[in-house]
Amino acid sequence: MNQAAPAPKENMGNPVPRIDARLKVTGQAGYSADLPTANIAYGALATSNIAKGSITAVRLERARKVPGVFDIVSVGDMDGIDRPKFGNTGASSIAPLHDKTIFHDGQIIALVVAETFEAAEEAAALIRADYAEETPSAGFDSNGTEMEPAAGKSPLFKEDVKAGDFDAAYAAAAVRIDEKYSTPTQHHNPIELFSTTAVWQGDQLTVYEPSQNVTGWKAELARQLKIDPANVRIVSPYVGGAFGSKGPMTARTAIVAEAARRIGRPVCCVVSRMQAYGTQTYRAETRHRIRIGANKDGRITAFAHEGWEVTSRPDPYVVGGTSATGRMYNYGSVLTHVSLVHADRNTPGYMRSPPETPYVYALENAMDEMAVALGMDPIEFRRINEPQKEPIGGRPFSSRSLLKCYDQAAKAFGWTKREAAVGSMRDGDWLVGMGCATAIYPTAAAPCAARVRLTTDGEVRVQCGSHEIGTGVRTVAGQMAAERLGIEIDKVSVEMGDSALPPAPVSGGSISTASVCSAVLKACDAVRAKLFAAAVAEDGPLAGSGNAKLEMEKEKIVADNGKSAKLSDVFKTMQIGAIEEYAEFAPKGSSPEALKKLYAGQSEFHGGDQDKDSVKYAFGAEFVEVRINSHTCEIRVPRIVGAFAAGRIMNTRTARSQLMGGMIWGIGQALHEATEIDKRYARYVNRDLQDYLVPVNADVKQLEVILVPEIDHEVNPAGVKGLGELGNVGTAAAVASAVYHATGKRIRDLPVRIDHLIV
Amino acid sequence: MSETTLASLSRRSFMTGSVSAAAAGPLMATSAKAAAPQAAASAEPRDLSAISLRINKQPYNLALDNRTSLLDTLRDHVGLTGTKKGCDHGQCGACTVLVDGKRVLSCLSFAVMNQGHEITTVEGLASADGNLHPMQQAFIDNDAFQCGYCTPGQIMSAIGCINEGHAGSEDGIREYMSGNLCRCAAYPNIVAAVVQARDETRKA
Amino acid sequence: MRPFVYERPASVSAAAAIASRFAAESVPPTEADAQFIAGGTNLADYMKLGVAQPERLVDLNGLGDRALRQIEVGEDSIRFGALVRMGEAADTGEIKRRCPVLAESLKFAASGQIRNMASLAGNVLQRTRCEYFRETSWPCNKREPGSGCAAMEGFNRQHAVLGTSDACIATYHGDFAQALIALGATVEVEARRGMRKIAFSKLHRLPGDTPNVETDLAPDEVITAIEVPLGAWSRRSRYLKIRDRESYAFALASAAVALDMDGDTVSQARIALGGVATVPWRARAAEAALSGKVLDDDAVEAAAEAAFAEAKPREHNAFKIPLGKRTLVRALLETRDMKV
Repeated sequence: MNQAAPAPKENMGNPVPRIDARLKVTGQAGYSADLPTANIAYGALATSNIAKGSITAVRLERARKVPGVFDIVSVGDMDGIDRPKFGNTGASSIAPLHDKTIFHDGQIIALVVAETFEAAEEAAALIRADYAEETPSAGFDSNGTEMEPAAGKSPLFKEDVKAGDFDAAYAAAAVRIDEKYSTPTQHHNPIELFSTTAVWQGDQLTVYEPSQNVTGWKAELARQLKIDPANVRIVSPYVGGAFGSKGPMTARTAIVAEAARRIGRPVCCVVSRMQAYGTQTYRAETRHRIRIGANKDGRITAFAHEGWEVTSRPDPYVVGGTSATGRMYNYGSVLTHVSLVHADRNTPGYMRSPPETPYVYALENAMDEMAVALGMDPIEFRRINEPQKEPIGGRPFSSRSLLKCYDQAAKAFGWTKREAAVGSMRDGDWLVGMGCATAIYPTAAAPCAARVRLTTDGEVRVQCGSHEIGTGVRTVAGQMAAERLGIEIDKVSVEMGDSALPPAPVSGGSISTASVCSAVLKACDAVRAKLFAAAVAEDGPLAGSGNAKLEMEKEKIVADNGKSAKLSDVFKTMQIGAIEEYAEFAPKGSSPEALKKLYAGQSEFHGGDQDKDSVKYAFGAEFVEVRINSHTCEIRVPRIVGAFAAGRIMNTRTARSQLMGGMIWGIGQALHEATEIDKRYARYVNRDLQDYLVPVNADVKQLEVILVPEIDHEVNPAGVKGLGELGNVGTAAAVASAVYHATGKRIRDLPVRIDHLIV
Repeated sequence: MSETTLASLSRRSFMTGSVSAAAAGPLMATSAKAAAPQAAASAEPRDLSAISLRINKQPYNLALDNRTSLLDTLRDHVGLTGTKKGCDHGQCGACTVLVDGKRVLSCLSFAVMNQGHEITTVEGLASADGNLHPMQQAFIDNDAFQCGYCTPGQIMSAIGCINEGHAGSEDGIREYMSGNLCRCAAYPNIVAAVVQARDETRKA
Repeated sequence: MRPFVYERPASVSAAAAIASRFAAESVPPTEADAQFIAGGTNLADYMKLGVAQPERLVDLNGLGDRALRQIEVGEDSIRFGALVRMGEAADTGEIKRRCPVLAESLKFAASGQIRNMASLAGNVLQRTRCEYFRETSWPCNKREPGSGCAAMEGFNRQHAVLGTSDACIATYHGDFAQALIALGATVEVEARRGMRKIAFSKLHRLPGDTPNVETDLAPDEVITAIEVPLGAWSRRSRYLKIRDRESYAFALASAAVALDMDGDTVSQARIALGGVATVPWRARAAEAALSGKVLDDDAVEAAAEAAFAEAKPREHNAFKIPLGKRTLVRALLETRDMKV
């Protein structure tokens, strides 16, 4: 056991190494752009350099003359294809090659297809467009934006939650704060570049593209191309980081497919990192106003959270994190309101903890401000306001271990050594600050199918159209089957990332482990049922043990009466070589159409605040130490501790790694990440990894993840709460609070940088 | 196909099985035309150059556009897709390979400039009997990756880091491994893996 | 990327001859048809982006002269062959001991891989990383003379506050060059017409009205060596680099400092500032402010004020003025307190 493989505590699975680890360290794991394809042609995109207006001409002559260019698909060439839609699987309704309107900077204006990558790139760079330009609106402070209430504009954000009489309670409160916060534009920047490889064989289309939603994309791509979904296959066996960016399908997929159809050759288009900023989704900037009123004893009586989010002109993309922040503490009264601001930008999309990262940042920064205003320890302030029931609907939490998380993290961090006075801690030239914040993420699951096969030799194959984006879902699905069927993990293979497999929901919203494992569990139980029935049958090896409790262990069926039978002997009596079972899982409370929608590629999430009997969230507490140079004010995070409770932990190794990655994301969101916009032109400026900074190895020193045991039978059959997104919620507020503790400066606009602190 | 790995495709089977596939990227047995490393001047900008490379101790004779990066050569013309493209501009480290034992960024190096050098990629690390390089094993043991995309570059860089003598302390490893971005942020585990491999290599 | 002819000459004179053949009057090396490549870390990047468009690439790695790849540490000077890689120079023990500012400025630059690739001469010639320069759809006077400067009124957090002009505010991002200019290095160049030496302080040109002309070099001149004089200041020297993250980032502000101290009093201070200026920036006013002074808090504050007296902020980079001052103050104090 090493640090990466924590010893399991109660309700935790073993730290089994990733079953695809060997493939990944030898370069043999096939990511979409790695898969060998015969006779391939290369695609390169040309994109707009204005954000608003219309195209009057696309000049392709110079590009066509580049030797090796086969074809150029440009504006007007998609007429036989249906427009993309914004919604469940589609990133945006903007249809770049269907019409001449430019909605945002970096909009696709052409795809060049050539014999070589070099020729395609050269030609794409030679494409020019003439535009009738209009003055674009870049975002919040620009002229010409359109604002509207967000509630009801998206199926995912139905209402502005409220409770009690906020105005009266706030007016009567002894202590009040009223502050504004903001978070910047951010891009996911997975290290794997976005790509599409389209291969036609007759009327059969196979698309290799990194995807978090192969089943959804199959349906959406078939719709756009007007072909039978049965003729479309999306293959994405390994995904090189996703974080939401590969959830919705973008317009490029159909464009590349159309190009491949036109030239009669497979086309591979790897999008440059610069072009990804405009052709993929991103986390839009947000603004917040938070008002908290409290009694002098620290009990909150009034909480208001107003949020503003930027989106594109046509699409009402909304994250609406007030659903979570409005239920976080025992507020007394709650008032929330979310507004959308439509600007000349590409449509935003999910990025790791889409609602919680910005909204909980604002809430938790405000909570620290309120603790300061009250003269209270910030942990104590949260303890006092710990709810028994969520304040909006008065429902209990299915489980809530937040205070346990605070206790364990505070102890490991050494919170008692913190001197509360601002600016009181120092180490030579370095100011020291400590801060903490709450992490919350809704627990949901979605319908999922899986197929499990067990052979007489004890070989197990699990098939599920989910996606290995680095979460370890392939490993935990295999682990679930291994445990349930009593087989060693190295005899289990798991196939994922292919729309030809049993359908699974989008790998987003931290639902994969719960959804996939619940389906695998059901399939395994069906296999067990057949084996058990055969084992105790009259001619079976355990005949007469019909009343005994049976279990599968070490390739045997073991009865609690002491008898056991070898797996192969049970198969022998059944006169078969393998059992294969297909199972569907739908979360309790799902709509009657939920399973039908699964096959149509639509993921119906269920959980969070949707159930009548309880609300379902995972919680954590994060503690950071910052150091700020007293001369030059650079901010570093030498120490970070997080404690998290998320129901059953399937694998302590993969769970710890995900939470660790999330916490480091949080450091990046606190200190580094921001996509800068030239407001005059509504164009992204720092469109690469040179200028869009993410944490590097040297930014992380001591990091500790504490897995807090928690049992929750209500959430789903597997008892699992998702944790892939939990880790980066709250971190930025903890950092901002620590910066305040070190310097006395309350920074409310992320990222916190030298610019804020230097004088 | 869903359990798609490249494991079943040895380099040789890829090459013999996919020569037609590589017609787009001219993979040609042009040993007769192979230029000496010192005199590879092409007459016109668009002329292909005959390029001889040694990759993982195997010779390759290729006819390539001068613009072809070492990275694209490995991936598109030789079939060694373990080396990854993450930015194509020297900003992420995913394309790190060893050239004469030193780690470099294959995206910023034109293939034509690499003649006469020994190039090692992640595919060249494990021994013929399948035993992993100690660094590869250390990455598994310490869960030093999640999505795995930056991993080949991290591993090559980590080997280079030890070769250079910059793996003496954890702080040193952090600093000298900072040219390899890991968006999943497995950094603490990467440091632990480098320490483990360093100590094992020292013992051996 | 524009297609190019690749040549790999075996001698400096042959390389210069090729370049000379394709050199046109009044065209700076960065716009010449034939351009030299060594590590390629800057040029290959800019070729991919369409910023650099050579039609002929002259690979200097085939040059036979061994001196091009050697570091000679003498009594009075260190001589770097132009093709020595940054990483090798940074790791040379004698340099770390005899003149730490040189090694540190190299160590804190870029990444391990890039330092293994990049030659010292190529490094000092690296072009700005201005976002508007890198992306060819923006107007940029440096990339396309007369087209305008998008950074001036755009997002300019990274941009320079010293040495700017009405045409260009792009920062010179290099680190090693700051050490070289502070130490009074000399660059040796060779062309067909012969060799010449250029004071490092004359190598780079202020942007003025012609930001596209970045150096004093002609297109056919090959840098062969960089010579750094050693003096009483060399051992008490360091490079402080301040950036948003801990590693692998360009300087928001940096300071190369070398001090010759007579007890508490400064006999000679050598100071250069990075991340804040359009070219490698020798802070002569700060040096003068310190000369003969006791190196106390007041003196370093005065020096920092002098260094930035002429600074011109833009919308997003005003913080670089206080940051630059604090960086210099800290660097001076830390250099003063070095045990040598």
